[in-house]
Amino acid sequence: MIFKRNQPDKPARLDAMVATSQADKPVPLPVADLRRMVDPAGLGFTTTADLEPISGLIGQDRALKAIQFGTNFKAHDFNLFVLGPAASGKRTAVKQYLDKKAMDAPAPADWVYVNNFDNPNRPRALKLPSGRARPFAKAMVAAIDELRLTLPAMFEGDEYQARRRSIDEEFRAGQETAFEALNKRALEQNIAVLRTPTGFAMAPMHEGKVVKPEVFNTLPETMRKEVEARIESLQKELEQILETLPKSDKRRRSRTTELNAEIASHAVTAALDDVAEAFTGEKAVLEFLEQAGQDLVRNAGLFLAPSGEESEVVKQPADTARDVRFRRYMVNVMVGNGEASSGAPIHEETNPNFGNVIGRIEHIAQMGALVTDFLLIKPGALHMANGGYLLVDARKLLLSPFAWEALKRTLKGREIRIEQPSEMAGLMSTQTLDPEPIPLEVKVVLFGDRELYYLLSQHDPDFAGLFKVQADFDDTIARSAENDRSYARLIASITREHKLKPADAGAVARIIDEGARLADDREKLSIEIGRIADLVREADYWASEAKHDVIKREDVARAIDEQIRRSDRLRDRAQEMIDREIVLLDVSGAKVGQINGLSVLQLGNFAFGKPSRITARVRMGSGRVTDIEREVELGGPLHSKGVMILWSYLASMFAQEVPLAMGATLVFEQSYGGVDGDSASSTELYALLSALSDVPIRQGFAVTGSVNQLGQVQAIGGANHKIEGFFDACRARGLTGEQGVLIPKSNVQHLMLREDIIDAVKAGTFAVHAVETIDQGIEILTGVKAGDRGPEGRFPAGTINRLVEDKLRIFAERARAFGGKGGFSGNDRDVS
Amino acid sequence: MIAHVAAAGEQRGRVVLRLTHDTPHPIALQAAMCVAQAFQSEIESLFVEDLALFELASFPFAREISFSGRRSSALSAESIAADMRHVAAAFQRTISALAQRAEIPLRATVIRDEPVTAVARACAECGPWNVVALAEPISAASPAMLHRLFASVVETTGVVVVGPNAKRTSGPVIAAVEDIAHLEPMLRTAERLMAVTGSESLGTETLLLLLVGARDDDTMEMEGQARLVLGDKPLATITRVNVPQGAAIDLAERMRRLHGGFILARFGGLLVPREGSLDHLVQTLECPLFLMR
Repeated sequence: MIFKRNQPDKPARLDAMVATSQADKPVPLPVADLRRMVDPAGLGFTTTADLEPISGLIGQDRALKAIQFGTNFKAHDFNLFVLGPAASGKRTAVKQYLDKKAMDAPAPADWVYVNNFDNPNRPRALKLPSGRARPFAKAMVAAIDELRLTLPAMFEGDEYQARRRSIDEEFRAGQETAFEALNKRALEQNIAVLRTPTGFAMAPMHEGKVVKPEVFNTLPETMRKEVEARIESLQKELEQILETLPKSDKRRRSRTTELNAEIASHAVTAALDDVAEAFTGEKAVLEFLEQAGQDLVRNAGLFLAPSGEESEVVKQPADTARDVRFRRYMVNVMVGNGEASSGAPIHEETNPNFGNVIGRIEHIAQMGALVTDFLLIKPGALHMANGGYLLVDARKLLLSPFAWEALKRTLKGREIRIEQPSEMAGLMSTQTLDPEPIPLEVKVVLFGDRELYYLLSQHDPDFAGLFKVQADFDDTIARSAENDRSYARLIASITREHKLKPADAGAVARIIDEGARLADDREKLSIEIGRIADLVREADYWASEAKHDVIKREDVARAIDEQIRRSDRLRDRAQEMIDREIVLLDVSGAKVGQINGLSVLQLGNFAFGKPSRITARVRMGSGRVTDIEREVELGGPLHSKGVMILWSYLASMFAQEVPLAMGATLVFEQSYGGVDGDSASSTELYALLSALSDVPIRQGFAVTGSVNQLGQVQAIGGANHKIEGFFDACRARGLTGEQGVLIPKSNVQHLMLREDIIDAVKAGTFAVHAVETIDQGIEILTGVKAGDRGPEGRFPAGTINRLVEDKLRIFAERARAFGGKGGFSGNDRDVS
Repeated sequence: MIAHVAAAGEQRGRVVLRLTHDTPHPIALQAAMCVAQAFQSEIESLFVEDLALFELASFPFAREISFSGRRSSALSAESIAADMRHVAAAFQRTISALAQRAEIPLRATVIRDEPVTAVARACAECGPWNVVALAEPISAASPAMLHRLFASVVETTGVVVVGPNAKRTSGPVIAAVEDIAHLEPMLRTAERLMAVTGSESLGTETLLLLLVGARDDDTMEMEGQARLVLGDKPLATITRVNVPQGAAIDLAERMRRLHGGFILARFGGLLVPREGSLDHLVQTLECPLFLMR
């Protein structure tokens, strides 16, 4: 069959295709298939004020059961990872559940750090019954306060002073007696004992004064020798006396220390007895008190007047807890529940860096050096949550250096060991604190998205071992009358929680419609609570602006429109480019090898469809297709896969008897960014079929859908946005009644189109067609029958498939003639 | 300077801080600073190299025994001079730092002489308003030295001393008045000292007036006079103390319990007799003692 070949750059006329077999008139989808609308009257209430608010979540039974299991199962490695989309209410759900559960649980123990008097670098961790840590800390401050009064009084008292003087006097008298005896003997022998800067010296004396040398030299030699001998003898005596001084002084100090201890121990025992009495039965506390008591007795001098510190600029503070002298006796409360508190703690850490999770050892600058002690140990989230639940955002945790590894190590070790990050990494060797670890019993609940969960599962072997319970929050629920009512109750909850106006049934119906649009599926409802709540809140605002007492349908519509208006600058810009023919797009007429494809652009929460021209050119070749997008590395792997599949379809359909001696190029025209996904593979196939058959495609249509090797058209995503994007382009040029979109039949269930499109379809100015196969699609696009192989194995004359087959046969014959054995060697590159 | 508060144009007097090679007591240095601040006077830091030691060094047999008694070496004038130089430099540096911090003008002098004579000469040069402050703590054997000092150094109004157990210069100023003649000068001195010992900021009992007498009549008469002089000064507390002669021990113990920042007393009175033992006072004295002539 010979038919007239169209010029590809000129619009073809369908009436010119006299030699083709006309297809049946296509039947578009009925309006009912394009949008599922809720009947407000069927909801059964006037406003949401009539409804009982819903408690908890709807449609998340799987996740809630997982949470229930994870929190009930007592094992250190059965922690939870709650995964799901953002704003799905998962955090609220977990908190609500835990709040109830924790209320009935026993309050966990309190923990404090105290000084380790044997090894100050390893502070001791003491466990106390719930609510007892703070009283213990206060009791210690009170005891030290008391000692600040009693100890100085006792040491100033007559008893101590008298006994102290007695000791001093005893030893001083002993020394002085020896010295005086020596002095006396020296004086008797006219020898003076003088003190020099570094010792003692002796000189001859006369009438109480040192004899001048010139006088001494006038004495007879025998007398001089005698004086020298006397001095020598006295010097020896002096040496002996001086040598006994250290021993004597040591004995004096020892006696003084004993006296001090005796005096101090009375006051210390009296002060600490009150604390010990209040904590009878707490063995660890009593042990600490015993050690503290011994240390207090040894260091009673700390409580006496700050001798030798008169010139200090900064005087000692009156507040005992802040007085550096008494820090070692203070108590650092790491976990201190209120005395009346009950229930397990639920701690949410919003900034999960290393220190905030594990705890930290802080330092203070002192004379240019950084120093620390046990009071500078600060608790982390794990301390706060010990005995209860710790809630953490997984992404934030992973983004904090060292925090994730530290959390895993702690959960594995089942004890909180506070280390400096640098110490943990082995980067620091200076001496620091090594506090005793605190036993850990906590259930960690991580929140994150699914991608993060699967990444961790795949790449972190520890993760699966520690987070064995996944609570997977769905983002949609099935559409049903019951769920519609639940949705209405959810809206009622939102209005009450945020103190909004009630919404009437029309408004609720419109929100449910929007829920289905957010789900991108008319059989589903989005349960992204955050987005729904935002919509209700905005609708409340517009209701107030409109002076409505309740939120009405138009307020919801206004809120949606305004949301879009705030976000659609790029969509307007893209439409403007099409209107001004900067981006070339035909929405009328027919052309060979040219078709309108559809893509979706996602900008944050806002998505819109954008039509673009796809063209195909064919020629004789070596049976390969050039995907220009891939050649320039703008096409993603899924797009390439789609092209390879369509090529496979062509080959299996038309190259059973002759080689596929053709070359083809496919391109998204005026596309300067990346292209991925296979939703345009059917579109590209239609363009190729048009190019091979020389039958023009109606430009009033845009197409979406992927294709498999059998020529079946398969579902794609974003059908609503794609249809709406092409509708907007057509409306800008004027709706002709010949325009529409081809979608896969399996996408019909997802349709929740805008109301203006519904109106256009009702008016017959726009249409949506659903197809199952390429043959159905090409017939709608060209108005020519696709054709099935007859018994003799040939397609009927005048059908698209026959025209394609004939063209390929011509290519094959020409190739054989040109290349001898059909071994045409062209420049085409394989798509693989 | 003490009894006589300098009027405009008059010399403001000096604090002559006498140092020897004995280690100065920090509270003694602090006390000297307080007095200088109180009277806005300068300090003359007088380091005395004891002449007797140099004379001793010229004996061929002169030897020095170290404090520990374990070392004995020949004594020479050069070694003593070197030791003295080092000790003087170290002491003067300490005093200079203290004076600088307190913004007190300082003059440092080193003199080789007999210690009491050296002070007498120094005071004579810039008399008459001098206060002598002794850097080394007094000992039980000090009455004789103090007696010589008051006798030799005529151009002085008083001597400030500390005991070996001195602890503070802050606290109330205690004036132990034993006769009417000393009441007014002591009060004026006390008022000046109160401003620098921090006792003013304490709010109560900044001045403790101890009227000491052997008989009740004596102290009652003094109380009347004291109340006239004090007028409406609210922060002074007057206490009458009747002690018999020779009861210095009781008085010293009573002073200690008052936790004073400075004690003013007359040399040659009940608290500090001209003769006899100062043993108990030396042991109980916890703040500087300003002995007035």
